[in-house]
Amino acid sequence: MALFAHYQRSAALRRCALAAVPLLFLACLCVAPMLRLLAEGSAGGAGVSNTGAQSGGYSSSGFIALWQDSYLRGRLVWSLLQAAASCAMVLVLGLPVAWVLARFDFAGRSVVLRLLMLPFVMPALVASLGVLALWGPQGLAMQFFGLDLQDTPWLLVYGNVFFNLCLLVRAGVDGLGQVSSSQLAAARTLGASPWRAFWRIEWPTVRPWLVSSLCLVFLYCFSGFGIALILGGQRYATLEVEIYTLVAHELKLAEAGMLAVVTMAITGAAALLYTLRESRLATPARGDALALRRPSTTLERGMVALALGILLLCCASPMLAIALRVLLAGPGAWAVLLQEDTAAALWNTLRFSGMAVCLASVLGLAHALAAQRSALVRWAALLPFVVSPITVAFGLLLLYPQWSASLPLLVAAYTLLAYPLVTQSITSALGAIPANLHRAAHTLGASPWRCFWRVTFPLILPALRRGMAFAAASALGEFAVSLFLARPEWTTLTTLIYQRLGRPGANSLNEALVLACLLVLLALAAFLALEYRPAPAARTCTPQRARPTHA
Amino acid sequence: MKFRAASPFTLATLLTAALATAAGAVHAEVSKLRVLTHSSFALPKPLLAKFEADAGIKLSIIKAGDAGEMLNKLILTRARPIADVVYGIDNTLQAKAASADVLEPYTGAALQRKALATLSANLVPVNYGYVTLNYDKASFAKSGTALPQSLDDLAKPAYKGMLVVQNPATSSPGNAFLLSTIAGMGEAAAFDWWARMRANGMKVAKGWSEAYYTDFAKNGGKYPLVVSYATSPAAEVFYSKTKLTEAPTGSLALKGAVFQQVEGVALVKGGAQREAAGKFIEFMRSPAVQEALQTEMWMFAVEPGTAKADAMRFAAEPGSFDSLPSADIASKNSEWVSRWTKVVLK
Repeated sequence: MALFAHYQRSAALRRCALAAVPLLFLACLCVAPMLRLLAEGSAGGAGVSNTGAQSGGYSSSGFIALWQDSYLRGRLVWSLLQAAASCAMVLVLGLPVAWVLARFDFAGRSVVLRLLMLPFVMPALVASLGVLALWGPQGLAMQFFGLDLQDTPWLLVYGNVFFNLCLLVRAGVDGLGQVSSSQLAAARTLGASPWRAFWRIEWPTVRPWLVSSLCLVFLYCFSGFGIALILGGQRYATLEVEIYTLVAHELKLAEAGMLAVVTMAITGAAALLYTLRESRLATPARGDALALRRPSTTLERGMVALALGILLLCCASPMLAIALRVLLAGPGAWAVLLQEDTAAALWNTLRFSGMAVCLASVLGLAHALAAQRSALVRWAALLPFVVSPITVAFGLLLLYPQWSASLPLLVAAYTLLAYPLVTQSITSALGAIPANLHRAAHTLGASPWRCFWRVTFPLILPALRRGMAFAAASALGEFAVSLFLARPEWTTLTTLIYQRLGRPGANSLNEALVLACLLVLLALAAFLALEYRPAPAARTCTPQRARPTHA
Repeated sequence: MKFRAASPFTLATLLTAALATAAGAVHAEVSKLRVLTHSSFALPKPLLAKFEADAGIKLSIIKAGDAGEMLNKLILTRARPIADVVYGIDNTLQAKAASADVLEPYTGAALQRKALATLSANLVPVNYGYVTLNYDKASFAKSGTALPQSLDDLAKPAYKGMLVVQNPATSSPGNAFLLSTIAGMGEAAAFDWWARMRANGMKVAKGWSEAYYTDFAKNGGKYPLVVSYATSPAAEVFYSKTKLTEAPTGSLALKGAVFQQVEGVALVKGGAQREAAGKFIEFMRSPAVQEALQTEMWMFAVEPGTAKADAMRFAAEPGSFDSLPSADIASKNSEWVSRWTKVVLK
């Protein structure tokens, strides 16, 4: 008993040491800049007061006056509404897809699972070009059915589904993998219909997984700058855009600060919900996971077809539309691939994403290991999604002006936005490891380090790889990094695409699309490499994939 | 078995790479000229290399978003400036820069020479251009609609749902176009026009790229009129898929729809490398740069007698335009943008 208590004490100490690294990183790069910008707002400084742009400091009356503006309230309501609608659509479309991917074995299943994340790397403007090539006034749907969805709310929700469906499907597949095959078999033997068995057995198991991924979808959509805005135009601007305008263009830091505090309260609450939900997922994996089976009946084949159809329609088709346009663009546009600029941008993309993924893996691993016993530490891992990126970007400028155009800060910014994804992935895997494995290793004389190497690390390796793939996707697509200072010699593929789209001409557009295809191919290679594993090794090492007992 | 061999190696690689990143990248910036620019800055690399060789100093170019965002970043960091010289502050921002006191006077040769466009004290003009309406020739030919002759025409039912503009709160061409309507029609009439345009199905996009590539009929959208630049038709020819003898788009210099934008270069107050910074200002007005910027940034050269780039023959310079006193722009622009938001979006 004494030995065990000692073991626990030193484990707690190790967790504190581990937590120090990522928490320090978050404090320096996320919390401190945000507070610095809020402080600047309260000081009413920035030297623009004489232009009448500064309202000067915070006050409760100013706060109330701000929210008396029905336009701003409308922005808030719309931000919430579109995020909620997107969550609903993602759930309705994603759950059947996840179920099919978790239950059936069919040709190309593992490839589909890995390709799911491709939308994540698409620059928002390019993705919306793909969406319009299908649903726009000159798109395919217009040519065949006379259907033009531009400027309708449908297109916004479609855009959000395009980017976020993968999050829910991946979580759904993991969650459904936890369903006990013996319980399900018992239910069926006792006469439950497949539908009833789903509601009574599978749904309760997968529900927390879905809720947690929906919280993530909500966070992305609520503070989203992306595709919905481009497709919908400024009538559909979110609160985040309002904050951007106030900070970047009008320098009204006090008003921006008051808005930022409200959005952070909302995203912080969503993140808290996510964390609390996720801690309930931390139950050791079952040994009796369901086996994948080949679809045998017509109904089952139909279900597989339906799932693949949803993925094709919602995720693949905008990318295929772009690929088609690239093929039709001709050699004049393809020549961009041979340009010196492209080679440099490709190298930068590889370099920055590589550095960001490495740092994100180390930080993510440390954070996840440290957060095993503390919901608060787990919540902290979501801070980069909670804090508005604009306040971070401008806060960093105020806090560290001498480093503001330096490479370490740029890589740190990439890392900041990528590493929570690694933490999330590893946290759920850690929860699935039965505690007695560690105790057994310890009893047999393994040092904590050896225990980590021989027991924990092999078991969380698949999750680490999945997290790295997500981190790579977000680094390649670089959300919000354009807010930071940049150097021409740091041009990445994404910035090169936006440069091309910043000047007129058919060839500029075609070159941008060719570069977007290159980016997607690069992402594809990265996902396949990061998540590649020899099939037998994975089966023996992950508890989730333990040999199923056939029902 | 495989894992045991692979795992320590993987983690060691990760750690090494991470440490190398952190350690290798921390090096101080010594004897460099820091140039802050907006994101559209572009000049041929050999030209910049030649400047470095002639001036004996390395250039460190820092892009800070669009011009408005760039100036705000300069204002926020003025206690410890992030640059020595700044390029891209224009006539809409000059008064804000002056009142925030972030620039330092420059009195070199470039400022003494006559220029085709002028800026207020401390800023040396480099280039100018025009924000104006562009139209898609194919759409107008197909529908048989006549081109609008005035901004008032655009508010008529015949032109319903034909114009896409950028949000002046997030886009500099959008803001310039708002200013042109106020300069051309007066404040009250301009906002009345905007209200009528809202009712007439005008679309508002976030920025130039969104408007031009997702909404403009030339590129897959359905709006045959877009706010862009007078030089855009020339760029359309320059970057066309096949050799064109005529631009697929044209610019429409309607009364109240033309804004002249003049961009300049200036010393940053509190910056270092004064001598090299002065050389950079002269460099921006040198014949080589004045020629190159025409097809790199699609602007007109301010230095009289600069050879006109061949591609610029498709860029018609508007005959007349209205302008506003820059003090008015500084004191009222923010209020105008809020009022525009109220009239057009709320």
